[in-house]
Amino acid sequence: MDEKTSNPPAASPPSEDAPEYAVDLHDVRKSYRGRIHALRGIEMQARRGEIFGLLGPNGAGKSTLVKIMLTVVRPTRAHGTILGRPIGHQSTLQRVGYLPEKHRFPVYQTGRQAIEFAGAMSKVDPQTCRRKADELLDLVGMSDWGDKKVSTYSKGMLQRVGIAAAMVNDPDLVVLDEPTDGVDPVGRRDIRDVLVKIRDRGACVFLNSHLLSELEMVCDRVAILVQGEVAAQGTIEELTSASRRYEITVSGPPPDWTDRNGLSITSHPGQTEGTSTLVALTAEANEIQDILDQLRRENRTIVSLRPVRESLEDLFMRYVHDPETGRAKTPGASKRKIARSGASS
Amino acid sequence: MRQTIAIFVDAYRELNHRRLFWITLVLSGLVVAAFAAIGNDEEGLTILHWSIPFPFLSTNFIPQADFYKFTFAQLGVGYWLAWIATIIGLVSTASIFPDFVDRGSIDLMLSKPIGRARLFFTKFLTGLMFAGMQVTVFTLASFLVIGLRGGDWEPWLFVAVPLVLVFYSYLFAVQAAIGLVTGSVIASVIGVFLFWFVVSLVQTGDGITLAWRVTNEITVERKISRIEDQESRIEKRSTALVDLKLAADGGDSEAAEQIPELERELDSRRNRFKDSDEELAEEIQTLELSRSINGWFHVANTCLPKTSETIDLLERVLEDQAGLVRPAPPSDDTVRQFGDMVGRGEFEERYEAELDSSHGPVWILGTSLGFEALVLGFAVWRFRRRDF
Repeated sequence: MDEKTSNPPAASPPSEDAPEYAVDLHDVRKSYRGRIHALRGIEMQARRGEIFGLLGPNGAGKSTLVKIMLTVVRPTRAHGTILGRPIGHQSTLQRVGYLPEKHRFPVYQTGRQAIEFAGAMSKVDPQTCRRKADELLDLVGMSDWGDKKVSTYSKGMLQRVGIAAAMVNDPDLVVLDEPTDGVDPVGRRDIRDVLVKIRDRGACVFLNSHLLSELEMVCDRVAILVQGEVAAQGTIEELTSASRRYEITVSGPPPDWTDRNGLSITSHPGQTEGTSTLVALTAEANEIQDILDQLRRENRTIVSLRPVRESLEDLFMRYVHDPETGRAKTPGASKRKIARSGASS
Repeated sequence: MRQTIAIFVDAYRELNHRRLFWITLVLSGLVVAAFAAIGNDEEGLTILHWSIPFPFLSTNFIPQADFYKFTFAQLGVGYWLAWIATIIGLVSTASIFPDFVDRGSIDLMLSKPIGRARLFFTKFLTGLMFAGMQVTVFTLASFLVIGLRGGDWEPWLFVAVPLVLVFYSYLFAVQAAIGLVTGSVIASVIGVFLFWFVVSLVQTGDGITLAWRVTNEITVERKISRIEDQESRIEKRSTALVDLKLAADGGDSEAAEQIPELERELDSRRNRFKDSDEELAEEIQTLELSRSINGWFHVANTCLPKTSETIDLLERVLEDQAGLVRPAPPSDDTVRQFGDMVGRGEFEERYEAELDSSHGPVWILGTSLGFEALVLGFAVWRFRRRDF
């Protein structure tokens, strides 16, 4: 499968007059002083009605990419669209919600004022702002704290209010940078529920997070960014399909046969003494039936049989490790010259 | 418009949050209360019910309404608003732009559907709210005091509001630019005060060198007049000598006796004339030097905002429009000393005329606002191009 152009089913089909992609990026590049290449030709698509996760080690360019989408950072080169309009189109931002990493609300604002101010800046009328502030404070569990100054909030409370502020304009695209940073496990679950609600409303949630387990739980699709490039993109199912296999633990020593009906099998001594583990590189249950029959014919006891696939963390680690050296790729923006066409801008 | 209103409402909340704003407002109230407590009568100065004999401040010298207007312009605006309240204001507003461009808060603003230039200018205008509210409250209170105590309801006092705001905006523009570029509150505070100091030095330098120039011009003109006078006397004496010699040749013995004395006098006059001519050459040299130095100061002053001259416009307006009688300029001691060298009357007249021609309101406000536009232009250019 081509990892970068997978086509998973959309969580929620786009309406007829709206483009399919909420985020459709092509050849997004960012160089600093022409020497440091933070982004090196990003190709990325996130659909409406899906939660899209952006992963990557520190310095991979995740925040830069998000900031380019939100016009906070100017790209060196960028093609593509946000909600069907070219990147940088100002009016489109009216339909976008954003929670930056380590965001800072002014200390003199209350939670409610922060939400209402965000709404006013997104051109939401005052009455709607007030109504939405009430609804959203309730949604993020901050109703009792809405009229208190944000300077009295904990990190988790600030994140909750930040998410509410990002949603006050009923956005079609919500970009959240580390939304669960500093939030306790209960809060994280609440935030996950909120994200699902936003997605179910038909909006696209673009999530930037280090917490792979969090992303794995909610994301429909993910992209892995390494050294300013998209290393992989697709549904977790698709990205891990190549690694899907069955592991069969049986009694006795490893068998002397290594394939069955063309299916390659590796075996090694099991973790428990007197057992062996066979690994069949297939995701199809019917393909391992012959193996089970053969094992029974050999009077072996089948101790366990389990389908195995990579976790998102395994997948992530695979991409961020250099296959040649086996070590993690150097974090940070690339300073090397890029040989490919037009990359040295 | 909705966004602009939201930013202004937010700025008002920010002002409310700042203790210095309220401290300044309370101090403004105290200044106005003190203003209301003083007055003048036939004896002199009055404080509440006490009268202090001070003939120069009595109503015989200065009418009560003028006393209040003059006190308002000189002390209320000239010292309180243009110095103390401005210093407090600049300290208080120093963090506006560094906080604005701080990571985490600027992202929230730039990700909204509002242009960067508009965002910057709106934020800049909200920063002027501090000065705007202070000067408005102060002027309104002063208007009431002058009306109630002096019996003169003078609407021209409200010219202080735009003038003080414009004056404050010169400095706040510099502060905003420094805050935007450095992101540092300390750099903003130090930078703007340093700038203010330099600007004040240049303005003072321009005023003093202008006085020096005017003094030299008067000296040279007087010297030329004296030399012309000497020349004409020498000419008359020379003619008289020729007449005497003709008479002596004709046999007039009395005329012949007068010739040596007249020749000595002529020699002496010619020597004095020669000395005066040399002195004139030196004085012209000094005049050229003073013109050149004053020219440089004036160019520098033209390029920079004119803070104190902008505030001084209030007195000019009150003089022209509200009939305020103010003491004859110049108020600066050093400038006055120059005047004493050549005689006050002519000096003050010439100095005032020079000020009117080369330091007119259009020049003061036009060049100052031009400077401000340049600074803001640079700041907004930087803000639009910068990645956050």
